[in-house]
Order: sequence, then C-alpha cells, then structure tokens
Amino acid sequence: MAVTIRLYGAYGDFAGSVRSVAVDAPTLRTALDALVTLHPALRERLRDEHGRLRDHLGVYVNKNEMRFLGGEATRVEDGDVIHLIPAVSGGR
Amino acid sequence: MARSVALLIGTRKGLFVLRSGAARSRWRTEGPHFAGEPVYHASYDPRDGASIYVAVNQSWGGPRIEVSRDLGKTWSTAANPAFPKGAVADEDGDPTFQQTWHIEPGHASTPKVVWAGVAPAALFRSDDRGMTWTLVKGLTDQPTRKLWNPGGAGSINLHSIAVDAGDPKRVAIGISSGGVYETRDGGTTWTPRNAGLTSAYMPDKEAEAGQCIHHLVAHPTAANVRFMQAHEGMWWWDEAKSRWDGGEAGLPGNYGFAAAIHPHDESTSYVFPLDWPQRMTNVLGAAVYRTRDRGKTWKRFSAGLPKGAPMEVMREGMATDRLDPAGIYFGTNAGEVWGSADEGRSWERVAAYLPPVLSLSTATVG
Repeated sequence: MAVTIRLYGAYGDFAGSVRSVAVDAPTLRTALDALVTLHPALRERLRDEHGRLRDHLGVYVNKNEMRFLGGEATRVEDGDVIHLIPAVSGGR
Repeated sequence: MARSVALLIGTRKGLFVLRSGAARSRWRTEGPHFAGEPVYHASYDPRDGASIYVAVNQSWGGPRIEVSRDLGKTWSTAANPAFPKGAVADEDGDPTFQQTWHIEPGHASTPKVVWAGVAPAALFRSDDRGMTWTLVKGLTDQPTRKLWNPGGAGSINLHSIAVDAGDPKRVAIGISSGGVYETRDGGTTWTPRNAGLTSAYMPDKEAEAGQCIHHLVAHPTAANVRFMQAHEGMWWWDEAKSRWDGGEAGLPGNYGFAAAIHPHDESTSYVFPLDWPQRMTNVLGAAVYRTRDRGKTWKRFSAGLPKGAPMEVMREGMATDRLDPAGIYFGTNAGEVWGSADEGRSWERVAAYLPPVLSLSTATVG
C-alpha cells in the first residue's frame, strides 16, 4: 500500500530535515521498517535496542493513535498518512 | 602551539563551549551544540588532542553519544550502547539504555579505549574511540548488584569512571546508589571498594554495597590516587590500607556533589558543599573548599563570588584544567560559570544566562 509518513519536529531533524516520506507497505510496522531502511539515522531514534518504540514517540494513522488501532500490526491502505509526532510532556 | 583552555558546558538545553587563552582572562562562548537537548556530560580526549564525546539524553529520540574529531567543529552520532538480550539475568525483561551519565577516555597507553557510564547502572567500553560500545558484563554480573538502589536522581546510574593513571587495566567506577567498584584486569572482574565509607541513613552503615556515591575522580597522572564526594562525606582512597579515609575539618557540612582533583598535586582536591535537603549552599553562600592534606583539613575560598549567594552545583559541575597554576571552574543550576586562574584564591564569572549547567569539563589544548 502506498502510504505517506510525516515526520514532525525532532524526528524530521533526525532524518536530515526530511518531513515527508513515501513508502509501500501493508502494515504500520512494515511501513516504519521501510522508513528506517530509507533513513537509517532514525533506527535508534524510533526504537530502543530491543525494538520497542520509544516512549515519547506518538504514532498516528490518519487521525487515530496506534494504541487505539491494532498497534504496529495495524493494516494501512493506499493514501493513508502515518504521523510520527514528538509527544508533548514534561514542562519543567 | 600556544596553550589554550576550553570549557565544555553541558546544560539542559545543549552543549556550550567557552574558549580562552592560557591567561584565562577572556572567554568566548560558542554554541549551543545540540540546541534544546539535555547534555549530561562532555569529555575531551587528551590522547589525540581533538576528540570530544558528548552524552546527549533526549526524550524523543532517546539517548545518544555524539563524537567530534575536530574539537567540536563537526559531529558524528555513535552507535548506541545497547543491552544485549538476556544479558541481565535478574531484570524483569531486558533493560533499555536510558541515559549516558559520564564518558571517560581510557588510559594513555590504550588510545582507542573509551568508557561510558549509563542508566540503568552499567558500564560500556568502546575500542574504536567512541563509535561502537560493548557492555562490560563483568560488572553487571557482579553478585552484589542486587544490593544497588535507586538514588535521588530516580534511577540507578553509573556516573563516575576513574581510570588509574598507572595501570590501564585498573578502573574504578561510582554508582548511585551502589558504591565504588574496581577492576584490575581491564573489566573482566570487579570488586566492591567501599571499605571505610559510612552512611548514617543506611541500616548497615558500612555496607559492602549500596553506598551512595556522588562523584569519583582519579588523578590524571599519579597512580592509585582517587578522591570522591559521597552522599555523606569527602573521601580519599588509601592504597596501602585498601580503604577510604574521610575528613571534614573546616567544612560547613559533608554533603555535596561536585568534586575535583588538582592536576599536579596528588594531595589536593576541591569540593562545593551544599546543605541537605535543599541542595543549595548554606547561609555562608557559595564557596569552593580546598584540602592540601588529603582531606584532613579544608580551607574556604570565596573571593570574587557573590557574598551569601545560594547556588547549586551538580555532580559533574566542577573541574580543573591542566595549566600551572591550575584553573578551577564550576557551573551552577542558574546558568553561571565561575572560574579561578589562581587555584581558587580569586574567582570571576566567565559566563552567565546559560541554561542550567549539568556538567563542566575542561580541555587543555596545545
């Protein structure tokens, strides 16, 4: 499926100021894998050494946060947009 | 080449570099590098005179180590230290590398070795000048590890690495709250080195492990010389007795974080005492205290510092340069950097209005 991944804030910076990437993948997980293949600098910025997504990374498919979908197994369709957003937290 | 000094200032919002000539009378501020990102520590490598290693601990992209080979002009991101699957048998699942707390160049005779202390408390070793890292499993497997406890920083951190100047295989590390451990075989085996320490707040005041170390340093050129500030007390390593000796005569208290050792005199060190529990200087105000007799007696130095000013200096917040007379520097949580070019007798503010200072280290170049 042809989907677009949008990189916000720090995640775009990690990819070398890239803000939008087109990939072809059937699920959210494979889309993220494809993103990392295209931009290896994101590998350790998105996941820890055991493959877990970092706590402060917000992942949305269109308008829905992945936790309320099927997690990384969520299937994506042609034209879907995946958003990688730095979580807003803290404040001190 | 004329000698010069650079101060590497890790702050909550990036790395700043202050540069000066050998007179250390005028300073030029550069940065921030890694703007907006917390920098817990930065370390200059005197072995090649060009490398700088930086501990960047960002929430969104996780922790990372940045390396420069040209004194901070350009940077490369290292491969992260990584806990191998199954490497830590007594954890609930595999731990995640969370932060780098300290990066230390190895011994002069092993020019490619660099050490990194991280949270959760573990030591990593690089054999390629900081670009890739391997867990030092001998420390993680040390049987007293189960006695380590989270310190005030909220996690268990390995924050101090003291490489012995006389032996490349001899390294001591400090953990909050775990204590001091030493290897004499390059990291294969580790032994607790906490004899002599006392902690009144612990059920076992002289416990073999679990002591709260705040900052441990080794002398840069003299063998077997170590000094540290612990949660309770300032301590010198007694090599002959294989234990720590403390002394507090002349000090306003025994609490604090920052500790530095004189680069040429192996009996002289400096601390910046704080009051507990506010972790600020007491009513006497900011001052650096110096011992010249391995901690038996201490003398207050505050000329030039604002009288009565409350300040906080973190565990990595004070360091000396390698010039003679030695320069001493400290950075505060209020974003100021203070320096003395006459070994503490007088002080001048060399930078202000920086973000809160998390670490200060020096590079004596040339």
